[in-house]
Amino acid sequence: MLKLDNYSNYILDDISLSVKGQNLIILGSNGCGKTTLAKAISGLLDNSKLDTKLVNYIPTKLDIFDSFLSVKEFLDLSCLYGKRTIDEVCEILDISDLKEKNAKTLSSGESQLVLLASAILHSAKYTILDEPTSNLDPQKVKRVFRLLKDDTILNYKVIITHNLDLAYKLGFDVTYIKDGKIDFSGTGQEFFAQDNLDKYFDKSVKNIDGNIVVSI
Amino acid sequence: MRYLAILISFIILISAPFFGQVDMQLTNIFDFSSSDAIVFWDIRFPRVVLAFFVGGILALGGLVFQTIFRNPMSTPFTLGVASGATLFTAIAIVLGLMQFISIFAFIGAIVTVATLFVIASRLKGTSTASLLLVGIALSFFYSACLMVMFFISDLHDSYEIVRFTMGSLDVVGFDSVAIITVVAIGLLVLILSYKYELKLLLTSHEFAILKGLDLKKTNYILLLSVSIAVGVAVSITGPIGFIGLIVPHILKLIYKKSAEKLIVPIFFYGGVFLVFCDLIARNLGTVSDIPIGVVTSFLGAPFFIYLIMRQKRGI
Repeated sequence: MLKLDNYSNYILDDISLSVKGQNLIILGSNGCGKTTLAKAISGLLDNSKLDTKLVNYIPTKLDIFDSFLSVKEFLDLSCLYGKRTIDEVCEILDISDLKEKNAKTLSSGESQLVLLASAILHSAKYTILDEPTSNLDPQKVKRVFRLLKDDTILNYKVIITHNLDLAYKLGFDVTYIKDGKIDFSGTGQEFFAQDNLDKYFDKSVKNIDGNIVVSI
Repeated sequence: MRYLAILISFIILISAPFFGQVDMQLTNIFDFSSSDAIVFWDIRFPRVVLAFFVGGILALGGLVFQTIFRNPMSTPFTLGVASGATLFTAIAIVLGLMQFISIFAFIGAIVTVATLFVIASRLKGTSTASLLLVGIALSFFYSACLMVMFFISDLHDSYEIVRFTMGSLDVVGFDSVAIITVVAIGLLVLILSYKYELKLLLTSHEFAILKGLDLKKTNYILLLSVSIAVGVAVSITGPIGFIGLIVPHILKLIYKKSAEKLIVPIFFYGGVFLVFCDLIARNLGTVSDIPIGVVTSFLGAPFFIYLIMRQKRGI
């Protein structure tokens, strides 16, 4: 179980949140504290040794220091509890051609897929994914959506996203963060009801025939 | 190409003791009553061994600092560890405690690392660039203190300090060589046993922690052991800069492999580089040997700049 009790820091304000045997979507506007919340609940902010079996956090961007570390070597370091081999996971994500490349030279979309591969190879009980589709083209978003929907790929997921249609169709529970506080906590159905969307998104988001559409 | 490099390196290492200001008869080397044998076994041979292991320590130290601080510019020298050792050595000279020089240098290195640790723990969440800046500021502070030492010391002590800060591989006999050999091999074995941890650190600190690395403990052990080794090396040879900065980069640019695979090559070629520089310093035919730090920078800097300019991407 992932748990925070009355947690406060420079941005989060008295947050209590527990994730137990469930998938969760975290929504909220830019700078409201979603990533900080994700890092806090994964234990990254404590500066101590983590329980790798329990939790893994996947950032939006791949951060590599060494210029010559290959994708395969990076994925090697991620192989902890997953049952699939690197080749299988690369096949699933269609990134087999990236294996020999230097991890530092990948495009932002490619590195996001490599990060997802790393998450699957690690296979912690809870995987926190920070905007896993923000740099992907529409086809790849679809592919990743199917993988996130499939519980045999990753166990429990906590997903931070701005893609409301993806969030809606995953059907997970939703937590909405506003100014460092939890403003909404409930099922996806409750959150994506039109009244509720009007309240949170200023009437610019519509639920039309089961699709969440943003009008610009 | 790589085999050729290894072959040339061994030729340099083996032939190094045969060249110097005194010409010797090869046949006399094993005639232990001859002065040639004394020059060979008591002066040149220990000097080559010293140069090799000091070069190895400095190059490996650079690699470890660059990896831990995630900054291609950080070495025990840029972070002030060597300046700390130098300052404390100068203090020992001024106080007339020549016999405790090594201990003072060692304390200087450790005090600096401790200071860096205390400051680093207060730099929560900021980048390692801040710590690098702190290290550079610390180096300037030490330089100022060193100037004060010059000011209060007499002519003879000042000369001793100047000679020391230029770096020198002058040794007679095997005492300090034995110490540096043990320290260097100890450091190499320790770093090799931390290969997996270093590889994790080549990604990001966050990733390393998420894969179960005890970041604080690992940093503590690696930085402390490198600082001890560099402290010992500086106490014997004085500060020899630049090797720790460039040797790891040169080998990365040539091998094009991730750093954790280059631990042994960086140690080996760091040693060979210093032996080669010393060979030149000893054989230029000047009245006395050119300070070794002059040669390392003179040869290393242009080659390094050439390699960087040839690169398509940054380091």
